[in-house]
Amino acid sequence: MNTRIRGGLDMEGNVILRVQNLCKTFGGVKATNNVNFEMMRGELSAAIIGPNGAGKSTFFNLLTGYHAVDSGEVFFLGKNITNWPPHKITRLGIARAFQVSNIYPKLTTYENVRQAILTQQKRTLIFFTPANRLAKEETLELLEISGLSRYANTVAGILSQGDKKRLELAIALGSKPELLFLDEPTAGMSGEETYETMELVKRLNQEMGLTILFTEHDMSVVFGYARRLIVLHQGTVIAEGIPEEVRANEEVQRVYLGEEA
Amino acid sequence: MDASLLIAQFMSGLSRGMMLFLLASGLSLIFGVMNILNFAHASLWLVGAYLCYSFWYLLQDYAFGMWVSIALAALALAVIGWIVEVILIRRVYERDLPEQLLLTYAMVLIIGDLIKVVWGVEDKLIARPPLVEGPVFVFGMPFDSYFIFVILVGFGVAIGLWWFLQKTRYGHIVRAAVYSREMVSALGIPIPRIYTGVFVLGLFIAGLAGAVQAPVGSITLGMDMAIIIQAFCVVVIGGFGSLLGTLVGSIIVGEVYAFSILFWPQGALVLIFIVTAVVLIIRPWGLFGTPMRA
Amino acid sequence: MKKYGWLGLIFVSALLLPLLVGEFWIHVAVEILILGLFAVSFNMIFGYMGQLSFGHAAYYGVGAYATGLLMVKTSVPLPICLAASMIFAGLCALILGYFCVRLTGIYFAILTLAFGQLTYYIIFQWYSFTGGDDGLQGIIPPDLLFSANAYYYFTLIIVTGALFVMWLISKSPFGYTMQAIRENEERTRFIGINVRRYMLINFVIAGMFAGLAGGLWGPFNRSIAPDLCNWQQSGIPVFMTVIGGPLSFLGPMVGSVIYTFLMAFVTGFTEYWPLTIGLVIIFVVLYVPGGVLGLIAERVKVFRSKALEPAPDEYSDTGRS
Repeated sequence: MNTRIRGGLDMEGNVILRVQNLCKTFGGVKATNNVNFEMMRGELSAAIIGPNGAGKSTFFNLLTGYHAVDSGEVFFLGKNITNWPPHKITRLGIARAFQVSNIYPKLTTYENVRQAILTQQKRTLIFFTPANRLAKEETLELLEISGLSRYANTVAGILSQGDKKRLELAIALGSKPELLFLDEPTAGMSGEETYETMELVKRLNQEMGLTILFTEHDMSVVFGYARRLIVLHQGTVIAEGIPEEVRANEEVQRVYLGEEA
Repeated sequence: MDASLLIAQFMSGLSRGMMLFLLASGLSLIFGVMNILNFAHASLWLVGAYLCYSFWYLLQDYAFGMWVSIALAALALAVIGWIVEVILIRRVYERDLPEQLLLTYAMVLIIGDLIKVVWGVEDKLIARPPLVEGPVFVFGMPFDSYFIFVILVGFGVAIGLWWFLQKTRYGHIVRAAVYSREMVSALGIPIPRIYTGVFVLGLFIAGLAGAVQAPVGSITLGMDMAIIIQAFCVVVIGGFGSLLGTLVGSIIVGEVYAFSILFWPQGALVLIFIVTAVVLIIRPWGLFGTPMRA
Repeated sequence: MKKYGWLGLIFVSALLLPLLVGEFWIHVAVEILILGLFAVSFNMIFGYMGQLSFGHAAYYGVGAYATGLLMVKTSVPLPICLAASMIFAGLCALILGYFCVRLTGIYFAILTLAFGQLTYYIIFQWYSFTGGDDGLQGIIPPDLLFSANAYYYFTLIIVTGALFVMWLISKSPFGYTMQAIRENEERTRFIGINVRRYMLINFVIAGMFAGLAGGLWGPFNRSIAPDLCNWQQSGIPVFMTVIGGPLSFLGPMVGSVIYTFLMAFVTGFTEYWPLTIGLVIIFVVLYVPGGVLGLIAERVKVFRSKALEPAPDEYSDTGRS
């Protein structure tokens, strides 16, 4: 396999993320128990993690440096990023949208997005140029893509829940990631908002080549959009593959699909 | 350097540490339970000392005047604590940290001036009761018996608090509240009353501390400023909300102070700060604290 | 643009001040400017970065002593002394800040307090170098700036310049990054910012400007003392900022005007200034938490948000998350 290394990253390889023997225990509970999986560039995959409420975010937390792993490794484009601090991981090309909107409440929507963009452009150590003059086009463009243009000058704190999630996604996109983690991207959204958001996610994946991994509660979203699934139960991978295969998997049926309304 | 000097310094440090413990225990308790750092704790302590003086002044012709004064001062401060909690502290529980700190900081200024208004600016002196006037001989060495008294009071309070927190129902509730307010509240126990109770208790002990401090040297303005920082150091080193931590922290600070007098008298406080800074940097929740409170 | 109109008006009034009032009030004005600069520099850490420093006076004091010592012991011209003040204060902030930024919240507050007191004690004890408790006397401004009016204009120019620089910084990407750190430290990490490093840079800049303020104080007061470093002094910019409003750039300066006037007024007929300011602070904390400018801004914001398009489904708290 031809690999081209740029800045230590395997830019032409197909495997964008590789997780190896990932183990993490929290107060006696195994959040991840020897998890192994790989993601290829350009995938749009979903991770179903349960039981419900059992450290869903932990998974992403481990991958993005928020928690230290007990053992195991995470590789991004060939580089070992295990236990790297979040800011270094983001700079490498991984971004994350949080389950509970993690935005800047007192800044405007425009400023929220711009912050991510300026950071990605490495222009945050500029002291004497007004920020309002920088990154205008890129910010407006990203607001447009995320459907937030009309809220550009609104203070982010007063946006509706659904719009906050959109902003959450926009901020993550501002970091120009190659790999995007979405933690329950449609949580709290109406049917229409869910559709809009997931269509956007699909576009990002297909038109802009973003590799995306999301977790979701809503099984219709999962099976409607994900092209690959990975199912974790009590910290262990119990199934992996294309939706049809996973759906047919006995253990998965027993554990999950029987519970879904 | 001979052994007797070392032991003398050790006892001096222990006494000083116990004094600090009396002050810091209330501070630590209040922060541990209510998450409020009471900057004014030492100012109220000073009020306790002045109150003790006033009571003593009134009762000095009676045999147990001094001892009664100490008790009265502690009770008076408990009442003051109750008033302060209801009128002021209660209003900032839901606020952010800066507002809470500013409130108690402002109280320092206000109380400082109120002391001036009530008691004036001259130093106050209390004559020690004969019981603790003379020296006590331990291992053939003379010790200021008042030192011993302070140490005993300190340990007494420590044991009392321990018993209260570990063995009484109310104490259990207080400890539970440190870990989870919501849980305690869900059990139908009114949190506001616990807070009031804890604050009053903390101030009772501060009053006791102030009163016990009163006969040592003289009572002067500005004593509170000098000691509050040391109390912070104690609580940082020992860990907020931990009784054992406060005790250990007090003794550490007391001993550092006592021993640095020997070889670097001006550096005593500097040393204490350095130790505090090191603890804050390496282990911000202190030796015995829990990492939750960030 | 209306805002700049107001500022222009104020600046022109400031220029004309010596023509309107006597020397006593010119002295008050210099004090307002210097302490206002001190407070604005404090607000870089508090209002913009979201951390409460109770030891900012350490850098103010270091700046005061740098200029003071240079002026008394050497013949270095004042502007160079001021630059030296900024550098030394900045260095001090770099060393102490390195440790402070590893913590946040109450631990940050306590550590800054402890470091502030540490600086105070070091200056206090280092008798041979700093004169210790005696302080440093005889800091005389150069002939050119000897008169009250001259020093006033000098201070006005320097403080305005410094404020302008800090204002530029607050509007720059760096300034916004600081606000981002305040609003949501975690998120800021996740967009790629090394938060600790940025906090340190901000801390140093704030320290440098506090040092500049301290440097200006020496020749004004003709003498300095270690008290300039202690926690009572550290409380002054905190009070000013809280009174004026931490969320706007000039809030602390407004606070300085109010505080200094109030102090000049109150100390005229009573010695119980601490009692007064204590009560004022409690009042502000309980009833006017955004300070004077915050109160004004709130009125404007309510007006503005009512004019927005789609009504939000839930009015969530702007800021306390």
